[in-house]
Amino acid sequence: MLRGLSWRNFDFLLLGAVVLASAFGVAVIRSAIAGNEELILYPTRQAYFVIVGLVVIFLLAGIDYKYWLSIHWIIYIVMMGFLISLSGLGQAAFGAQRWFQVGVLFLQPTEFAKIVIILSLARYFEKSQYEPRDLKWLAKSLAWTWGLLIWILLQPNLSNVIVTMVIWFFMVWMNRLELKTLFWMGVSGVLVVIAAFPFLEEYQRQRVFNFLFPDPNASYGAIYNVQQALIAIGSGGLFGKGYGHGTQTQLRFMKVRHTDFIFSAISEEFGMIGSILVILTLGFIVWRCIRTAQKSRDLSGSMIALGVATLLFFQGSANLAMNMNLIPVSGLPLPFFSYGGSGLMSLMVCIGLVESVAMRHKPMDY
Amino acid sequence: MSSGSLPRPARFETWRLVSVYLVIFLAFAGLISRLITLQVVESSNWNISAVDNFTNEVSVPAARGIIYDRNGSVLARNLASYNVVITPAGLPDDESDIQRIYRELSELIDIPVGGPVTDETLAEAKLFAACVPGPGIGQLVALQDTLAPYSAVKIKCNVTEEVARIVQERSADWPGVTVEIEPIRDYPTGSLTATLVGFLGPIPASLEDELRARGFIPNRDKIGYAGVEASMQSILTGQNGLRVVQIDVAGQELRNLEPPIDPEPGHNVYLTIDTRLQAAAEASLIKDINFWNTYFDTVRISSGVVIAMNPKTGEILAMVSYPNYENNRFARIIPAYYYQQLSEDSRNPLLNNAISAEFPPGSVFKLSTATGAFNEGIVDADDIVFAPGQLLLCEKFNPNDPCTGTNTRPFVDHILEKKPEGFGPISFFQCIAFSSNVCFYKLGGGFEDEIPQGLGIERLRQYARALGYDQPSGIQLQGEADGLIPSPDWKRINTGENWSTGDTYIASVGQGYVLVTPLQVLMSGAAIANNGKLMQPTIIRDVTDGEGNQVEMWFNPEDFTVTDFQTPGSYQISPFVPNMKWDMTVTPMIEDYSCENGVCSLDEDNLKIVNPETIAAVRAGTRLAVTDPTFGTLYDLFNQFPIAVAGKTGTAEYCDDVARKAERCNFGAWPTHSWTLAYAPFEDPEIIVIAFAYNGGEGASVAGPIVARVIEAYFELKAIDIAQGNTPLGQ
Repeated sequence: MLRGLSWRNFDFLLLGAVVLASAFGVAVIRSAIAGNEELILYPTRQAYFVIVGLVVIFLLAGIDYKYWLSIHWIIYIVMMGFLISLSGLGQAAFGAQRWFQVGVLFLQPTEFAKIVIILSLARYFEKSQYEPRDLKWLAKSLAWTWGLLIWILLQPNLSNVIVTMVIWFFMVWMNRLELKTLFWMGVSGVLVVIAAFPFLEEYQRQRVFNFLFPDPNASYGAIYNVQQALIAIGSGGLFGKGYGHGTQTQLRFMKVRHTDFIFSAISEEFGMIGSILVILTLGFIVWRCIRTAQKSRDLSGSMIALGVATLLFFQGSANLAMNMNLIPVSGLPLPFFSYGGSGLMSLMVCIGLVESVAMRHKPMDY
Repeated sequence: MSSGSLPRPARFETWRLVSVYLVIFLAFAGLISRLITLQVVESSNWNISAVDNFTNEVSVPAARGIIYDRNGSVLARNLASYNVVITPAGLPDDESDIQRIYRELSELIDIPVGGPVTDETLAEAKLFAACVPGPGIGQLVALQDTLAPYSAVKIKCNVTEEVARIVQERSADWPGVTVEIEPIRDYPTGSLTATLVGFLGPIPASLEDELRARGFIPNRDKIGYAGVEASMQSILTGQNGLRVVQIDVAGQELRNLEPPIDPEPGHNVYLTIDTRLQAAAEASLIKDINFWNTYFDTVRISSGVVIAMNPKTGEILAMVSYPNYENNRFARIIPAYYYQQLSEDSRNPLLNNAISAEFPPGSVFKLSTATGAFNEGIVDADDIVFAPGQLLLCEKFNPNDPCTGTNTRPFVDHILEKKPEGFGPISFFQCIAFSSNVCFYKLGGGFEDEIPQGLGIERLRQYARALGYDQPSGIQLQGEADGLIPSPDWKRINTGENWSTGDTYIASVGQGYVLVTPLQVLMSGAAIANNGKLMQPTIIRDVTDGEGNQVEMWFNPEDFTVTDFQTPGSYQISPFVPNMKWDMTVTPMIEDYSCENGVCSLDEDNLKIVNPETIAAVRAGTRLAVTDPTFGTLYDLFNQFPIAVAGKTGTAEYCDDVARKAERCNFGAWPTHSWTLAYAPFEDPEIIVIAFAYNGGEGASVAGPIVARVIEAYFELKAIDIAQGNTPLGQ
């Protein structure tokens, strides 16, 4: 299977950036637990996930991604089974059923479901690349997406639905979506959002309201977390307060500082220099993925790389925007930096797939 | 097919790719610009918020000074009281653990768990003030959780030391439940000294800003509301300490951010009161009041005052105002029902009758008339005044008013019923000793050819003021009344009528418009007893700092400030020195009075003294009241007393709202207050006592025995002190 393959084409720069981001993430998590005894094992655990993840990258890079595409139906059905069973078997955590317990590990099938959707769409777009870009073509792509996405929406996990829809959109866009269709999609999208608002869960609506109309008196209320994150970022200044010396982080004024708000912890302790490096690292990874998409030998490879690039870009910038109170609190972690085994592992799988594409790129170089 | 030979399919249209890169670039550019805004432009503001988050200023309460009596007996001190409190954030996460804690705690402190927390039960719980039993534990904690989860809420206040110890022992099982130690004021002598010592209360909203600026914490720190607690508030309170600490999100103190400022304990205050004499005075007053109330089978005497003072130094040895209140009931909070009960009581127990209430003085005021008449030469030591049972005098509003049947009425002497012919010809001394009204009518208002020109109201006022009337004494107690010595101008302004001759007659015997406080009567007696030297009445004897070192303090009665340096108008209160207000035999303070063509006026630029002979003559009169067996008003009381006593009685007719309501204001048979003033030993007085009984009746028979018992107690206590080798009372 590896015959004719050269590790020369393996994107070591991408791997380097991922290793840098994950290792830095582990270091920040170590600082961010701030002496909380319940979290004391998290940095070590995250480090193990990083190491296992690197192994996964190399394994997946070695396997031709076409192999996964050929069995995509099986993967698709199994994933759907997982997602459906979550509604009954999944563990109720934080009000939403997002976790699946395997032994002592909590797995989050949603993270992997996004990869399955990317794979299925990649296969679909390759198969249909010579078909006209009509509504049927569009509807079929939506059908592949929503076959899994519907279960995520029912969890309910709105932020991952949005992430997936953005991935879908980037994919159809790069597959020469007609501008006329785009216009009507825009109109219908606005209508769907307006129509869907009454059906949102109370807490989701509340988040939107809190974002749009913050209550200046609510210091312990709903905007507490974001407010504390802003204080952390702003007080970090240019050079930060130093590793392990952020008052917002170390004195635990900021909540979920090792997951959703890890960027605020970084900003506080490493200042603007550190924050911009994080953004640039993320941008670099996204760029390497798009570059791989361009160089792919076939459309399915391009779509996998593009899907991963979109996933990383959108989820990353959404998290940063949430940290800086530009969008409502969403619960999307910062790729590679935030604590979370499932999240990191699914991202490592994504990178593995991209590396697999990169290693089999179109033989252009002679 | 060879993939290498085929033209590369146009994978991505370039413009679409550019659009994607553009989106990514714009997004990251937006994020970075936001980052710059936060971390560079607004950084200093956010930094302030961050510092504010972890900085906590902890005010360390200063211990309030202790109040002692002159012998070092504690009158006010601080005790620890224990409150069981819960910090909502400290409770365990598990709801069943919380419920277990509530149940176990509920058994110990007998506060209900409270059932499920609902909006209704919370709304109900909100109505209760802290420490008031009612809401369940669950409701109290739920309320606090929404307000300030990291600060403690009081679940039960003032638990026993044993309960406090059990709670502390179980702190491992009951996370979040702690014992708060709160200092409360304790008054070992309670109601006996409540009038003087006063009580504490919360900082009122009107003073909140001012006191907050000086480091006080409203709702924790208390201030004096009455008595010495109020007047010496500024030195008793001390200065709260301040620690600026770093806290984490749970409110846990991590370290001091600045060197801590230790609290400075308040100064201790020693009063001039002797608790033993105070107890004797109170017992004497209450005994008398109970006797007469039982005798008449009605609440006849509703209130009374006893004050004992050293006339040579001005030290108040006892000051009783009956009825009073139990200040220990205000130790923790001011209970609404008790306060309401006190403020609705028509006898006004919260009022210090000794200094804050004004009454007609009656015959005790004759000392002023006597001093004036003798000093102005209206009467001489050798003169005989003819005192019939009553005088028929006419009421003239103008000097030229004719005397007719309608404006002429009898002015009677108190002897009239017993002896219709009156005292007959009596000397000046007998006038005082017998308290002859007719004599003083004549001295004050003049009578035909016998005394062509009496003292008159204007000159009477001069002498009354020299004896301390018509002005606050400047004692270190708030709420002192001025009293009133009327003048013709005053009457025109306040009643719209001219001063009449009748007004002068009745003012001469302390009736009519004349109003005084019991303390002023005591001062007038003290000035006479002390040969014209009026000493500043004081209840503060000494002030010491937190370590017990004596400190110098001055008190300014005008703006009620206590300072450690002298200010204009202030007098020294610590270490104690007798402060003389004035010596009327040395300081000229009586305005000269001259008549030209029948128009008489005072000359305020021409002042004269009160002759020492005048004081001596008045003193002789007060002594004769004890020694004259015929009509001496105090003869029965003090004739057998081993120490020479002198004094003056008073039976003051009054008609106030209470009497008018009871329809007792009948002409010729008005209700009367009972007064007696006495000092001893006559030659070198060291104790002077005033007793006042509201609606008491005759001075000598109601107020007199009270005074007698207090003077007796004074000399007994002094003898005990000498026998035990202690500093004798009064020294």
